[in-house]
Amino acid sequence: MSYLSARGLVRSYGRTPALRGVNLDVEEGEIVAVTGPSGCGKSTLLHCLAGILRPDAGEVTYRGRRIDTLSEGARAALRRTEFGVLFQFGQLVAELTAAENVALPLLLAGTGRREARTAALSWLDRLGVADFADQRPGEMSGGQQQRCAVARALVTEPRVLFCDEPTGALDSLAGEQVLGHLVRLAREQRTTVVLVTHDVQVAAYGDREIMLRDGAADPTGLGTVAAQQ
Amino acid sequence: MKPGTLVRLALAGTRSDTVRVALTGLSAGLATLAYLAALTVIVIPTVEDGGGRVSPQYRHALIAEAGLRPGVVVVLVLLTVPVLALAGQCALLGAPSRDRRLSAIRLAGASPGQAIAIAATETGLASVLGTVVGLGAYFGGREFLHRPDADGRLPLPTDVVPPVWWIAAVCVGIPVVAMLFAVLQLRRVAVTPFGVVRRVRTRAPLPWPGALIVVGLIATATVVPLSRQLEGDPEESGALLLVVLLCGLGCATIGVVTGTGWISYRTGWLMHRFGRRPATLLAARRLMADPWSGSRTLAALLACLVFGGGAAGVRSSFATDFEAERLAAQRSDPSGVIIEPRDTDFYFGAFNLVNIAIGVGLVIAAGGLIVALAESIVSRRRAYAALVATGVPRSTLAKAVMWQSLVPAAAGIVVALAVGAALSQSLFGDEVEREGIVLEVPVPVDDLALLGAGAVAAVLAVVGVGLLFLRASTALEELRV
Amino acid sequence: MSTPHVLLGLLVDGPKHGYDLKRAHDLKLPRAKPVAFGQVYATLGRLVRDGLVVPAGQDRDAGPDRTSYELTEEGRKALKEWIAAVEAPMPHLSSVLLAKVVVALLVGDVNQAREYLAAQRAAHTTRLRELTGVKTDPDASLSDVIAADFGIAHLDADLRWLQTTLDRVADLHREVTTR
Repeated sequence: MSYLSARGLVRSYGRTPALRGVNLDVEEGEIVAVTGPSGCGKSTLLHCLAGILRPDAGEVTYRGRRIDTLSEGARAALRRTEFGVLFQFGQLVAELTAAENVALPLLLAGTGRREARTAALSWLDRLGVADFADQRPGEMSGGQQQRCAVARALVTEPRVLFCDEPTGALDSLAGEQVLGHLVRLAREQRTTVVLVTHDVQVAAYGDREIMLRDGAADPTGLGTVAAQQ
Repeated sequence: MKPGTLVRLALAGTRSDTVRVALTGLSAGLATLAYLAALTVIVIPTVEDGGGRVSPQYRHALIAEAGLRPGVVVVLVLLTVPVLALAGQCALLGAPSRDRRLSAIRLAGASPGQAIAIAATETGLASVLGTVVGLGAYFGGREFLHRPDADGRLPLPTDVVPPVWWIAAVCVGIPVVAMLFAVLQLRRVAVTPFGVVRRVRTRAPLPWPGALIVVGLIATATVVPLSRQLEGDPEESGALLLVVLLCGLGCATIGVVTGTGWISYRTGWLMHRFGRRPATLLAARRLMADPWSGSRTLAALLACLVFGGGAAGVRSSFATDFEAERLAAQRSDPSGVIIEPRDTDFYFGAFNLVNIAIGVGLVIAAGGLIVALAESIVSRRRAYAALVATGVPRSTLAKAVMWQSLVPAAAGIVVALAVGAALSQSLFGDEVEREGIVLEVPVPVDDLALLGAGAVAAVLAVVGVGLLFLRASTALEELRV
Repeated sequence: MSTPHVLLGLLVDGPKHGYDLKRAHDLKLPRAKPVAFGQVYATLGRLVRDGLVVPAGQDRDAGPDRTSYELTEEGRKALKEWIAAVEAPMPHLSSVLLAKVVVALLVGDVNQAREYLAAQRAAHTTRLRELTGVKTDPDASLSDVIAADFGIAHLDADLRWLQTTLDRVADLHREVTTR
């Protein structure tokens, strides 16, 4: 049994199918890129794997345990403790400073304020944005905000990090800095990473690429999965 | 830009725009109705009847007695304050998407003036429609309520009409004011085609509104001594005193409303300093980031409470006065027979009317509060949804929303009621004297507590509705937007 | 070819002999195809003939191979002109990749074209991952990083073309098979 795996995932939005039977296996410590054209179901797959969305059919197992059948509360706890999530943009709380944003998951877990701040500062430092600890997101550039978001995703030392187009809103150099830090830190921590992107350059940061097409895996890359079915 | 294009672009919008237009129209209609009613009361003709000046054709003393009519007019005009505040809140409904649309229109090559014209046209059209409906309701209501009783007396002044140009002024004035308001709100969008405004630190508010409250209290305290000085010409001094009184009232109310900004910031600071839980941290930072949001959203509610507190104080002062009068009469005539009992019921009836008006005002203000809170939650839904996705429990966010709404509201409510009661004290003094009998005017604790409890209940209800919006806004489908 | 000008550039900071030049070339352009000794000497010969470099002396303890060369004024001028000259942006659209696909389609074997494209895509992706690894290595030097960037950008362009072509050929395939 793989560390994280999906079997026959199906999920629709209204009558539009987003996933139609996706199988996928991720091993511990792996960095896996999920690629495909826009609308192929990448984000939906990520959300199902991270326990954010429930699939209509199929199952998701994490370390041998079904997670798609858990209650919303249990999945929220899982996301809070075992998983980290990183989106394209807009995930930082605008009113909180960078350090407070990073400390937030720790505070939610019941860590004391001083301790949480110390941890947050050390993570901001590791991502090279320690100078912005007391700035608000609005006072930082997109790349700095995103590095802050990486710090927040990693501060709880999650076992799996889910990233949805983490550099989609950044220019290539800022994106490279975010990804460089992310991959280096993930390898240091032996964090498993699922990285959803449409960009081949971003996908190249992964150890392995899973191609998705029209809501199903496309292992040959021939791009005619739907046509052949 | 051709007028047709202008109207077409003004009406291009989504469901929340439709709601905004409808509510703008509704509040314009209500304001029209209130102003026309006030004007009608003003034009009632009077005849000299012995010492008093009356209009004997009406059933109710509030309208029949010329001396009481200014009070009715003031109450009617004050009722438009929460209505206009509601209109102001509604203008914010769906504003981010409208701003984006206007930005898109700007990027497509519209000049800043054109973009503003489009938005102002939307508001203007809605208020014209609302005004027309209000006008129709006014004339329809006149026909419907024109019911003389057996003596031929009327329940309402349906027999007089304000001059046509007064009516015209109201019908033109309300849409124009609404449009000016819209233009004022849109200056930001006009400056940049990119409607995005970065959130930066606002400076901490200073406690100067406290000075404004003091000025208001001093102004009202001077009314009675001033009236003794100016006893010569009642007409002239009456107008002057009214101006001083209204200034005092206005200063104190503005002081309370703007003071809420300072209170928000300070409580936010305290919560940030001493709070331990993430919910208090979120709420504290939100209060500190935009301390004025409390002032904006609570303005109508707090204004109502200042008036309410003042009315309760005046009522208490009148009641004490009647009591003193009764005691004095009893003393001069120990047999206990009161020679000429005063019609105190009339006064308390009037106070009850004022209380009803304040209650209506509170309800309308709460409506505005719901709109404001819902808007603030919906506009931040992406950040909320992202937090929920990372495992933040919804209850934490709900607690944060509750803290950030309740704390400034509770503090503001207390201050508003206290200032209201203090205003009436400074106007009428803290004791009454009738023929040697001196009674202390009690602070109307019961009335104030009732008002405060009502206001807190209203805010709680609003937060409850807001939490429903929070639930919808953190649906994780929002992440796909 | 750019080799003569690269050698001129390597001579700017002082005279060097052939062996040093080869080493400097491979060090400064680490991801480029290594230059052969023979090519260095042949190029130097041509540069001497054109008056761009001159022999600057010989090491005592070595044979004729140890002649060192230095830039002439003319050489400096030529180098400056070369750096300033704008290269023609892709004057000829020719590549083995392109040729293979065109020929496969010419032959009429759509399936073979698709299989080739998919395999080529996989190979490109692997190489892209390698270069990304080079770039993210904490010990990478600036010239490593910019060389890797250069490769990544070109592979990215190729990959985009490969993917688009795959999609086009798949459409063509669909049309062919459904007809």
